[in-house]
Amino acid sequence: MDKDETLDSRGLMCPMPIVKLAKKMKELQVGKVVELIADDPGSKEDVPAWTQRTGNELVEMRQDGKIFYFYIKKKQA
Amino acid sequence: MPEAKKVTKVAIVVSEGTFDKAMESLMIANTAASMGMEVHIFHTFFGLKLVTKTANPKAPGMYRLFTGMFKKKMLAVGVEGYPAQKKMALELGVKMYACSTSMGVMGVKQEDLDPGVIVLGAAAFLNIAADTDMQYFIG
Repeated sequence: MDKDETLDSRGLMCPMPIVKLAKKMKELQVGKVVELIADDPGSKEDVPAWTQRTGNELVEMRQDGKIFYFYIKKKQA
Repeated sequence: MPEAKKVTKVAIVVSEGTFDKAMESLMIANTAASMGMEVHIFHTFFGLKLVTKTANPKAPGMYRLFTGMFKKKMLAVGVEGYPAQKKMALELGVKMYACSTSMGVMGVKQEDLDPGVIVLGAAAFLNIAADTDMQYFIG
């Protein structure tokens, strides 16, 4: 999956991955993709909820053992 | 033209000043603000102390002695202590209010409050809360 930036939130638990993701997305231009790496088991539900609520696009999500990879595209605010 | 998206609004009342209630209120508030929601927190009774500059909440009752351990464990997973959470909340635009009656009862002055905290009474907060989509009571 193509990405413009990576945000590694491994070791952080709720709500920090979401708080950091929101901050990162604010800095990003529309159309750019962030790869979020997380090992908080809650992030599997939290990240899709965040993209749904904020109108950003969750392009892809995959799991490798206990680690989640999310690819989030910034949409027009 | 697309219809303007409605901003979801959240009202939180905090009536206790212990570490758990303090952290709960701000973890909800900071997450909501990160989801683009508008957040209003009313601090009343023992919750008032949380919006003073010297706020340093301790775990409740017997757990008071374990406050340091809780803080350490939370910090290990990236969740900073109460003063840092509060700073983050104010940066994210979370609106904080102090109950004027509680200020009188507890001897808290305007200059004791964190910058940005608005002093008001129940009627003014209810007026704000009446237009919110979600309401939480933490006490």
